[in-house]
Amino acid sequence: MRVALFVTCLADLMKPGVAFAAIRLLEHGGCTVEVPQTQTCCGQPAYNSGDRATALALAKKTLAEFEGFDYVVAPSGSCGGMIRAHYPELFRDDPATLKRIEGLASRTYELTDFLVNVLKLDSVPGDFRGTVTYHDSCSGLRELGVKAQPRALLATLPGVTLTEMNEAETCCGFGGTFSLKFGEVSTQLADNKCGNACATGADAIVGGDLGCLLNIEGRLRRRGDLKTQVLHIAEVLAGRTE
Amino acid sequence: MELRSNEFKARAAANLGDAKLQKGLGLIKVKAVVNRANAVAEFGDFEALREAGKAIRNRALADLDLYLERFEREATARGAVVHWAENASEACRIVVAIARENGVKTVAKSKSMVSEEVGLNDTLIEAGVTPIETDLGEYILQINDAEPPSHIVMPVIHKTAEDVADLFHEKHGTPRKTDPAALTREAREILRPKFLSADMGVSGANFLVAETGSTLIVTNEGNGRLCTTLPRLHVALTGIEKVVPTLEDASTLLRLLPRSATGQAITNYVSVHTGPKHIDESDGPQQFHIVLVDNGRSKLLAGEMREMLRCIRCGACMNHCPVYQAVGGHAYGWVYPGPMGNILTPSYVGLENAVALPNAATMCNQCGVVCPVKIPLPDLMRKLREEQMARGLKPWPERAGLALWGWAAQQPALYALGTRIAARFMKWLGGSEKLIHRLPLAAGWTNGRDFPAPEGRTFRELYKARRK
Amino acid sequence: MSSRDAILGRVRSALGRKVSLPDTAAIESYIAAHPVGLQPPRDWEPELRFRARAEALASTVEKVSSLQAVPGAVARYLVVNKLPTGGVCWPSLRKLDWIGAGLGMEDRPARGDDLVGVTGCYCAIAETGTLMLASGPDTPAAASLLPETHIAVVDTARIVPFMEDAWALLRAERGGLPRAVNFVSGPSRTADIEQTVTMGAHGPYRVHIILVG
Repeated sequence: MRVALFVTCLADLMKPGVAFAAIRLLEHGGCTVEVPQTQTCCGQPAYNSGDRATALALAKKTLAEFEGFDYVVAPSGSCGGMIRAHYPELFRDDPATLKRIEGLASRTYELTDFLVNVLKLDSVPGDFRGTVTYHDSCSGLRELGVKAQPRALLATLPGVTLTEMNEAETCCGFGGTFSLKFGEVSTQLADNKCGNACATGADAIVGGDLGCLLNIEGRLRRRGDLKTQVLHIAEVLAGRTE
Repeated sequence: MELRSNEFKARAAANLGDAKLQKGLGLIKVKAVVNRANAVAEFGDFEALREAGKAIRNRALADLDLYLERFEREATARGAVVHWAENASEACRIVVAIARENGVKTVAKSKSMVSEEVGLNDTLIEAGVTPIETDLGEYILQINDAEPPSHIVMPVIHKTAEDVADLFHEKHGTPRKTDPAALTREAREILRPKFLSADMGVSGANFLVAETGSTLIVTNEGNGRLCTTLPRLHVALTGIEKVVPTLEDASTLLRLLPRSATGQAITNYVSVHTGPKHIDESDGPQQFHIVLVDNGRSKLLAGEMREMLRCIRCGACMNHCPVYQAVGGHAYGWVYPGPMGNILTPSYVGLENAVALPNAATMCNQCGVVCPVKIPLPDLMRKLREEQMARGLKPWPERAGLALWGWAAQQPALYALGTRIAARFMKWLGGSEKLIHRLPLAAGWTNGRDFPAPEGRTFRELYKARRK
Repeated sequence: MSSRDAILGRVRSALGRKVSLPDTAAIESYIAAHPVGLQPPRDWEPELRFRARAEALASTVEKVSSLQAVPGAVARYLVVNKLPTGGVCWPSLRKLDWIGAGLGMEDRPARGDDLVGVTGCYCAIAETGTLMLASGPDTPAAASLLPETHIAVVDTARIVPFMEDAWALLRAERGGLPRAVNFVSGPSRTADIEQTVTMGAHGPYRVHIILVG
C-alpha cells in the first residue's frame, strides 16, 4: 500500500519529529511511505481568510502532488479536514476536477484515524511512560470524527495512563489567523484549556494538531509551567524516531 | 439599538477582565450547555430531529411567498390585521400608528428580538407611548437606563443577583434583597398592575402558522400570555421568515427549540393565537395586528446567506461558542450576539459596519453541531470573509501577508528556502529556553503567549539528508 | 407599490419565480395533508407518562374517580397547602357543588387579585406532561394565568400521546382553532437571574392537576 505523507507546513517548519514519527507509525503498519517533495500547504489559512483564489490554487497543487497514491495521511485533523471536508466545496463549479478531488478526499485520512480504521493497528512502538490528557482538536473531532481513535491507540501503550480533562472538546482558541487577530481572546481560550489540562495533573498534554499544541504550549510556558510536556500524538505513539 | 459592532475587538478584550460578566458567562457552561446535553440525550434520535427541523424550515423558505400569502389570508379571515414592513422605520411607524389610532398610552411588551432590531421602544417613547418590558430580564435592562440585552434568551446573563439587588433597591425604593425568588416576586408585584392597565400588548412570534393564520409564542414566565390576553390590542411583530406550513410542523420545531435553548422538553407556555377575541369571550384583545418585518430578510433569501433564515432563535450557538463564552454578548455590538450575530449583523447592517464579526470565530464548529436546524454557521462566516476580501474590507497588512504567503506557497523551491531561513531565525530568537517571547508581526500571539521555537532545520531538509 | 408587494416581489425574485401567479397546488396539498413529523418513541402508557412528566415539571397530580369528587379534592388541596378556599372557576365548571365542599368559587372573569383559579382543559399531552387549554366563552384564558394557584381538572380519557394528536382532535371536533390555544407545562418560571430557576414569574406559582377517571 503506497501512502503519501502530507507533512503539514507546521510539522515541516516547527516540529519535523512529528512527521518522522508519522512515517515510523505508517511503516510499522506495513505501508510504503512516500513524501512528495514539492508539497507546501493545504491552503486552509487562505480558505479561512476568505482568499478563495489562493486556496483553490493550493488545492490544485495538492491534487497534482497526491493524486497518484492509495492513501494520503496527515498528522493533523485540520489539514486532513481541509482536504476531506472542504476541497470538494472549492471545486463545486468545476465538475471535471470535482470528481478527482472527491477521489482524493475519500482517500485522505488523519493519522490516528488511518492507523485505527484502515491499518487496524493494535500495537504501536511507543514507549512513553506517564499520565497524559488528550485535547480533541476541533477539525479532527467535528469534521473527521476523530475521538476514539487516538484514545484506542494510547490504550495499547502499557506505560500510558489517560486522564480526561474537563471540556476536552472545547476549542483551545488557536483558530489559525484568529490567534493573531484576536490575540487576547485566543489567549484566554488557551488559558482555559491549560487550566483544564493541568487540573488533571497529567505529565503531558497530547493532541493531534500542531496548531493547537503550539498555542497550548505557548500559553502554558507563559503561565510559568515549564514542566508539563506538550506532545503530538504521533510522537507518543511512535516512540524515539532517532 | 445602537450599532457598535466595529468596536468588537476592543470591547471583547475589555470584557475578558470583567469579573461579574465572567461569572454570568461561566454559568452558561454548567447550566445551559449541560441542560441541553441532557435533554438531547433523553430525546433519543436528536440528529434525526435536527434533520426534520431543517427540512421544515427549508420547505417554508422554498415557497416563502406562497406560505406568507396563505398565512395572511387565513389570519385576515379570522379577523387579524396583517401589516407588512419593509424596514425598521416602517415597522415602528406601523406600531405607532396603531397605538395613536386607538389612544394607547402604555404598552406591555413581551420579549421580541425583532422589536430590539427595529428599535421599537425608542420610537414609542418619542410618540408619547410608554413601553413596559415585562420579561424579567428585559425589565431589569429597561429600568437600567435601557441597557441592551447580551443574550437572546437570557438577556441579563451579564448581571449578577447582587447587581439586580442594587438596581431594584435604587429604582423601586424597596429594601435590598439578593434572593432571586424574592427579586422575581418584587418584579411580579410591580408589573402586575401594569399588565392590567396596559392598552396594548406587543409580542414577537416564534412561528407563524400558514395553515391557520396563527402566531405562536413560547415563554416560561407567562408574561407573553399576559401581554396577549389582557390588553385590548395585541400587536405581534416578527420577521417574514418565521412562517411554517402546518401545526404539525410547528410541533416538530417545538421539540427542537426549547431543548436547544434551555434544555427543556417544552417551555412552560406555548401560546397559539388566531384572530382577536370573539364577542362572547371575556378575555383576549379586541384587535389583533400582525406586523411582518422584512428588514433585509428577502435579500438574504436571494444570496449565499439563505440558510441563516432557517434560524429559530434558540441561542444554542452562542451558549456553545467559546468566543461568546469568553467575551459575552455586548461585545458583538448589536441585537444578535455569538455565531448567529457574526452572520446576521453584517447581513442586516452592512459588512462594512461589522468588519470584525465574520472573523471573530475560531471555526471550531461547536455552533454548527448544536444548531437545531443545522445551519452551517462557520461556512457562512467564511463566505462573508470571502466577500470582505472581494470588497477590499480586510486591513491591508492582512491582505499583503496573505498574498505574499499564498504566492510563496505555490513556489516549492522558494518556499523551501523561506522556511529554512525562518526555522533558523526563529530558533535563534528562542535561545536556550527554546521559547520566543516576542515575535515580530505577531504581537497578538506573543502578548499573552510564548511561541515555542522550532528545532532549527525543516523536515524537508532532514528528510532529504536522511535519504542520501 | 405597497410594502407588501415590494416584499413579496423580492421574495419571488429571490426564489427565481418566472410567473407572476405561482401555482399554490403543491403547498395546499401539503397543508391539507399536514403530515406528522418526528416524534419520540411511544414506549409508555399515556396516563402514566402524563403524570410522570407533569410532576417532573413541578406540577402536583392526584386522581379522583368522578367529576363529582373534584370539589372535595380541590378543598383538600387548598386546606392542606394553607391556601385561600375561594377564587374563580371556568363557567364550564359552574355546576359542580363547590359550596358543598366549603369553597367559594365564582364563575366570572379572573381579576388580578384572584388567588385561586380552577379550570378544565381541552385535552392533555402525555409526551410532555402538558395541559392544552382552548379559549372560549366558558373557558377563558385568564383563569389559568392570573391566580397564584392554578388547579386543572383533566379527564383521563382526554390524555392524548402527542401534541399532533391534540391538533387532530381540535380539527375533528371543532374544525379549527379557537382564539387562543395555551399549552401549560407546570408553574410559571424564570431563570433570568443567574440562571436560577424560580417559580411564579408572572403566572401561577403552583399548578395542581386533578385527573378524573
